[in-house]
Parts: sequence; C-alpha cells; structure tokens
Amino acid sequence: MSDQLQQVINKQNNALIGDENKIDDVVQLVGFIVGEEEFAIPILSIQEIIKPISCTRVPQTPTYILGVFNLRGSVIPLIDLRARFGLPLQKHSEETRFVVMKSGDDVAGFVIDRLTEAIRMPKRDIGPAPETVSEAETMIDGVGKQSDRIVTILKVHKLLERNF
Amino acid sequence: MDEFEEILQDFLVESFELIEQLDQDLVELETRPDDLELLNRIFRVAHTIKGASSFLNFDTLTHLTHHMENILNLARHGDILIDAAIMDIILESIDLMKALLVRIRDTRADDGLDVSACVVRLDAAVNGEASVEAEAPVPQAPSEPVAAAVDPVDEEEPDYSGMSDAEVEAEIERLIAIKNAEAVAKRTGGAPTALVEEEEPDYSGMSDAEVEAEIERLIAIKNAEAAAKHANKSSESNASADTQAAAPSAAIVPTPAPITQAAPVAKPAAPAAAPRRAEPKEDAEAKGATVEQTIRVDVKRLDHLMNLIGELVLGKNRLIKINDDVEERYEGEAFLEELNQVVSIVSLVTTDLQIAVMKTRMLPIGKVFNKFPRMIRDLSRELNKKIELDISGEDTELDKSIVEEIGDPLVHIIRNSCDHGIETGDVRVANGKEEGGTIQLKAYHEGNHIVIQIIDDGKGLDTDMLKSKAMEKGLITEKEADGMTDKEAYGLIFRPGFSTAAQVTSVSGRGVGMDVVKTNIEKLNGMIDIDSELGRGTSMKLKIPLTLAIIQALLVGVQEEYYAIPLASVLETVRISKDEIYTVENRSVMRLRDEVLSLVHIGDIFEVERVFDNSEHAYVVVLGLAESKIGLIVDTLIGQEEIVIKSLGEYLKGIEGIAGATIRGDGGVTLIVDVAALMQMAKSVKSTVGDEAGGTKKLGVKNSASDYCVMIVDDSKTDRTIMRKSLESSGITLVEAVDGVEAMNILKQGDHFFDAMLIDIEMPRMDGYTLASEIKKYNKYKNLPLIAVTSRAGKADRMRGVESGMVEYITKPYSFDYLLNVVKRNIKFNEGL
Repeated sequence: MSDQLQQVINKQNNALIGDENKIDDVVQLVGFIVGEEEFAIPILSIQEIIKPISCTRVPQTPTYILGVFNLRGSVIPLIDLRARFGLPLQKHSEETRFVVMKSGDDVAGFVIDRLTEAIRMPKRDIGPAPETVSEAETMIDGVGKQSDRIVTILKVHKLLERNF
Repeated sequence: MDEFEEILQDFLVESFELIEQLDQDLVELETRPDDLELLNRIFRVAHTIKGASSFLNFDTLTHLTHHMENILNLARHGDILIDAAIMDIILESIDLMKALLVRIRDTRADDGLDVSACVVRLDAAVNGEASVEAEAPVPQAPSEPVAAAVDPVDEEEPDYSGMSDAEVEAEIERLIAIKNAEAVAKRTGGAPTALVEEEEPDYSGMSDAEVEAEIERLIAIKNAEAAAKHANKSSESNASADTQAAAPSAAIVPTPAPITQAAPVAKPAAPAAAPRRAEPKEDAEAKGATVEQTIRVDVKRLDHLMNLIGELVLGKNRLIKINDDVEERYEGEAFLEELNQVVSIVSLVTTDLQIAVMKTRMLPIGKVFNKFPRMIRDLSRELNKKIELDISGEDTELDKSIVEEIGDPLVHIIRNSCDHGIETGDVRVANGKEEGGTIQLKAYHEGNHIVIQIIDDGKGLDTDMLKSKAMEKGLITEKEADGMTDKEAYGLIFRPGFSTAAQVTSVSGRGVGMDVVKTNIEKLNGMIDIDSELGRGTSMKLKIPLTLAIIQALLVGVQEEYYAIPLASVLETVRISKDEIYTVENRSVMRLRDEVLSLVHIGDIFEVERVFDNSEHAYVVVLGLAESKIGLIVDTLIGQEEIVIKSLGEYLKGIEGIAGATIRGDGGVTLIVDVAALMQMAKSVKSTVGDEAGGTKKLGVKNSASDYCVMIVDDSKTDRTIMRKSLESSGITLVEAVDGVEAMNILKQGDHFFDAMLIDIEMPRMDGYTLASEIKKYNKYKNLPLIAVTSRAGKADRMRGVESGMVEYITKPYSFDYLLNVVKRNIKFNEGL
C-alpha cells in the first residue's frame, strides 16, 4: 500500500517537474518591425514602450543616435534601429514607437517602425544565429521559426553596448 | 565577526579624526613645548589608539604607539624637552602610525610595515640620544620582523638603569598593579571587592598627593577589570586571551605617573594624569556648551536626498512655467491669485529646502587646511627656509565633494610657494625683507562662490623669465610670447611640462603640480586668478562654486538648439556687430575693452548645421575658466535658470564638450556645456565666423532646375493646378499642400528644402496669414520667400500680408508668365546655374 502511495507521489512530482520544464522551455518575446524584417527581444528586457516624443540632439555621436529624451525625469539616449541596421532613415509615422530596453544599469530607447505582437515561442523553435560574422549580425541571439514567418531575436545587451 | 567589524570601523573613524587634530597640535607644540594641555591632548591620542589597537589585536600598531606614548609621557612630565630633533622623530612615528591605520583600513591587518627602526629611534630619544640618532638615521635592517607578541612587561625593562629611586619605586608599584590586574582579568567573573582587600596598604602614612595617586591607581585597576570583562563578553575565541593581556596594560600605564610626580616634583599635574577612561567625561564637561550635538549620517543618504531635491527643483521650474502660461490665458480670473500664491510658496520653500540640504553636505574648509601647518613645517626644514603659515577663514564651509577635490591643488600651490616663491633667509635679508617668509591661506565667501587665496611674500613671478622658459621648452613661439599680457604669462605656469626650477627637487620642479591644480579646479568649474609683483610676492585666487549638483546656468540658443552654460564660468555677455570680428591667422578675434578675445562659434563646436545667418549682430558669451578666457558666439541669449545636472548615462558618457544634461521647465532635455572641454576644442576648431556670408551657399547648391523646390498651398484643386501649370515648364520641383496645417507638417518633416512657397490666403483650418507668421517663428525659415496668391486685393489685405511675413502679393487672376517670373526672381533662379 505504501509502495503504491509512493509511486503516486513520485508520479505527481515528476509531472510537476515536467511542467516546470515546459515553462522554462518557452521564451516570451516582443516582436517589432524595422525596415522589412521582424525582430524580437525578450519581454523582460523591455522597461516600457512609449509613443514618440521630442528628443535633443547630442553632438559628436554617430547618426544612429538621435539624441536624448526625458523619460519622467531621467535623461535617456535614443537610438534609431533603422540607422543602426544601415537602413535609410524614415519619418516617424503613427505606428512608430520608442521601445525602452534595459540590461543591468544600461537603459536606452530604440525607435522601431511598428510593433507586432507578444510571442510565446518554444525554445526548440529557436535556431542559432547564421554563422556569418558581420558587425550587424553579432547582435543576433538566434532565429525563431514560426509556422508562417521567421523572427530575428536580438541581444539586448549588445544593442545597449556603446560602440563608438 | 560582524561585531568585530563594527568595532573596527568605529576604531578607524575615531583614529583618523584624532590624527587630523594631532598634526596641528604637534606643530603648535613645537612653538610652545611646555604647553601641558597640548601635550596631554597629544598623549591621549597615542594612548587611545594604543589601547584600541591592542584590543583589536593589531600588534605592530600597538608596539609603535606604545613607544610613542612613552616619549610623550616623559615629555608631559617635563623629563625631556621636546626640541626639533625629537619632534622629527615623533612626527615620523605619527606618519608611520597613519600608514599603519591606512593599511588596516585597506587590508584589515597591520603587518607589512616595518616599525622597528622608528621604535629604536623613539627609545633613543627617550634616553636622550635623540640628536645623535636623528642626524644619522638608523640603518637598521628593514627586513627584521617585528616581535609579533608584545609583552607589556618586557618592554618596560630596558629603562631601569637610568631611573631615580623614586622612579624605581613607582615601577615596582606599577608591576605589582599589573600583576594584580592580570590576576583579576584572568578570573574576570570574580568579585571586585577582593581587589581592594588585597591591595589595602597603609593609607594613614600617606601624603595627600600619594593618597590621590593611590585612588587614581585603584580607579585604573577597576577600569582594567571592567575592560577585561567587556572584552571577554564581546569576543569569545582566541581573541580573548590577547585582550586580557592588553586591556590591563592600556589602563595601567598612567599609574606610575602620579606617583613619580607626587614624590619629587610639586607640579599641579594630577588632574592631567587622570586615567584615560575618565577623561572624555571631563573633556565634555569642560567644553560644555561648545560641544555641538551631531549625528553621523551616511553620505549616500545625503546624496539621495540631494537627488530628490534636484527633482523637486525641476518640478518647481515646470510649475513656474505652467503658471506663467495659465496667467496669460486666463488673465484677470479670480483663481489666478490663489494659484500664484501657491506657486510662489512652493518655489520659496523649495529654494529654502535646497539650501538647507546643501548645508548638511557642507564641511568647513579647515578640514583641508589642517594638514598644512605640518606640511609647511616639514618643507621649511627640508628647504632650510623660515616660513610661517597664516591661516584664516578655516570655518568657511563648502560642499563635501569639493572639499575632497580641493586638497590636492592646494598642496601643490603651497609647495610651489615654499619652493619657488619664498626666498632663502639670506636672500630675503639682502632684499630688505624679514628673514622669515609668510604664506597666507585665506578662505571666504563671495556670492555663490568660495574664494581660497594663497598669498606669499616671496620673489614674485617674473614674466620675462616665464616666457623665455616656455620658449625654451617649446611651449610657445616667440611671436606668441611677444603678444602676451602679464596675466597670460602667469598662466604659463599651468602648462603641463612647464617648470621654472633649475633642477628637480623632491619638493617640486617636475612640471606636473600646477597642471594638476588647473585640471582639478576646472573640474570644479572654478577659476584661478594670479596676481604677482616682482620681488613682493604672489597671490593666487581660487574661485570655486559652492555646490556642484544644482547650478545656475545661462541658456543660449543656436539655430533651433539650446545649450546651458554654467553661470560660474560666464564672465559677461556682449552684443557685437559682425564688423567687430577680425580674423587673425585663421582665428576669429574681437577687441573687448583693452583685451583681445579669441572667438569661437558654438555651432562649430557642436556641429550645428547653420541654415541661415544674416543678422548684423551676434551675442558673445565671455567664458572664463581657471586662468583662460574665450568668447563663445551664440545666436540668442535665452536667460538664466537654475538647473539640475543629470548624467547622460553610461551609453553617452564622455562626449567631448558636454558635461551633462538637464530637464527644462517644458520637459525637454537641454545639454550642459563643459566649459573646460569647450576651450580645448576651440583650439582645434576651424573658425567659420568670418565666412558666414557664404554659409547659405553651401547648402543651396543648385545644379539643375529640379533642385529648386517650391510649395504650393491652396485649398482649391483648380488653383493648385493652375499654379502647377505655370511653373511646370521651368522644371522646378513642386510640392502641394491643401491647407496651412498640412503645409506646416510638410515643412516640419524636412523632406524637402523649399526655396519659396506660394500661399493662398483663404483656407480652412489655417489661413495664409497664420501660416506665414507660424513659419516665420522658425529661425531657419526667416529667409524663405513667402508669396501670397489670392483674390483679396484690398490694401488692408496686402498690409496684413506684409505684416505676417509675405514678400510678394499676387492677385488672382494672373498670367502664367507673371507667376513664373515672380517665383524665379524670388528663388534666384538661374543665378546659381
């Protein structure tokens, strides 16, 4: 009898552990469009997403740094992802958003063309970054495959790294 | 372990505080060697540190302080007189003590420093051989390890031979006391009364003094006992064994003193020799009212508080701006007065609060000044000059962060004054001066600044000599030297690599010190002003803002951008006409009263695209920092505002010329100019001030007709088509907008650079007049030709058109050619081709 009970308990435990594994196996991402492509970053590295507000140009910076803006009292740099990825600049539209990302103490706002959706993606659907080594690609953490599309997952800490 | 750490922290804080006072006391002592009060104070410091360090198991420190204590003890009983040689040894040992304390702070251990040489010299001084020893520093093998365990009994032994009878007696008494105390310490739980019974000598036969001494001794033993008990309680492991041995020694040392005094000498010294543990109480009583009530606060908390105040100041600025807007809009409404009151109260309280919090961070500058008497003393001995230091205004307070930064520059300046400024005694006498030189160190407030002045009565700065030295070292050209004013020549001493010293000494001459002074003062947004009279002396004035976090700034505009310049660096602003700007060797300069000021345009520094620049006048902000000056040309002066410095963050830090950012009342971010960096950048920036006339050309390079761009604003499709038809033939690029709002949006997007606009007057949403005046609000469109195309032909309409900034007024109907010609004329069509 006690053996049976033990078995039941073990089974339940296994089931629980299995559940946890399943949760671990799913990454939550936020997808957005820059240029023609869809990118994604882990949802936990996003501090907030805001509509475009005015920013102040900072001299002696690369063109992809649009300047700094005031986010409730903090001065935060603003980086245009189009320019960062070598795409031509575009006027802000109704759908343009600033995605404020953080990694450790580093915070910066990134201009994206359009948000898509929050994505839950099993880890097994994420492949490694293509093995070409150009500067832009080192920012790629991996490539997520979904039934109808491919999402490029970016390394937030890399985006927040100063490279000038 | 935590408890130990806590005790250790307290010990370190206390020790460093004590030592700070110590240096000054010691120098003072040299001039008044028989000042008992001073001697006692110094003795107590050594004693306190010894006691605590033995308790904490720092054997090397205990060993050293013990010997210092010995010599000081002898001195305060008048057994030896402190002369310069002995003072040197004492000072040396204090330096060693400091080094040990620093080591303890950093590594939690006091090993690695050799104190034996110093101890030997201290002992020698005790035995009266100080002068011999001092001249030939003991070449003791430095590797010799210090006896790890300090046995208090052993250390006392070598002195016996030279002792008088009375002293021997005292020594015996003391040893008995130690024994007893040790016994008590060992069985700390024991009844305290047992001690009294054991000790009971024949009181009846004693003189008054002896009785007093005996009482003192008993108190000391009691204290030792209490200390041992305490030690047992707080530390359980191996520490307890050591502390038991150490505690009695700390408490007992004073005991021989009263007895020796009581017997042969009739000095009224008894109260001074009271055991240390009773002392603080006495001190407190003596000082009474002068002791201020304070609490220790972590600097982090103050910083946090300061940050919060910063936010509040920003909020206040914003509130004031909103209040102004509301006032404008609802003029005469009753609630306005109430709102006004609230706003002014909030702003008043915020300002007061800011000052109050700033004050909590203030430290008296005496904290820095304190170390100078000692330094001057060492230097004057080293350089063999007589130098006196006269300090005043040491109570002047300034922000903690500044106090920390100001120390180094002052050290360098004073060293320089001693080495280069003050002449040797015989030279001074030959020049009819007093033999001893004086250096005055003054601090006082001046507005929002603190001024620190270092004045010496030495030989002064010789401008010709400075110039020739600088030329020799290749720092300036001969031509530059010729055109230099005296002030500029004085400024040469701040150049890195510049030194007037013929040879490098241990004191100065490396050409580094004054460079450090300059960089540090610049970092604090301070200014340096040098005044000198050959043969009479030099005065150096450091002007430093009181605080760094919240500053007054001058806001300036260039094109559509704004920058904040710390007001502390702004000397004045002047409005000049463009004719007053001269070009000398590719640099723009202007004459400001009797000075020649070099100019730089803020737009050249910060890469601002200059779209227009046609005004006859320019504003020049004269910036002064450390000893240099520069004129910064800006387009507009906005005004003065209190700003809070915010960092640009990790990602953007270290941008040249930008010290940080601030948030303005309207919520926008404004960058703060780093004046020091700007002055550096100005040297390498190519001046474009002179060729502004050609400035517009570079932007409007027109190679073909389609490079010209004209906007057509009309709500009627027909009218737009007619205009398009008129202009199409010329090949000009045309952009259409259906009303003023759309036209504004197209302009703001900046996809096109328009050469002219054709504007209908009657349009929905925004009419032509409004559009024109809106456009003219932007600096960069000031020169954009606006052409009204309308059926309103009245004179009043024309007038309104002119008022709102239209340059031409075409009435419908018109011929194709007429329109084309007017447009061509206004955009200077063909001229550029």
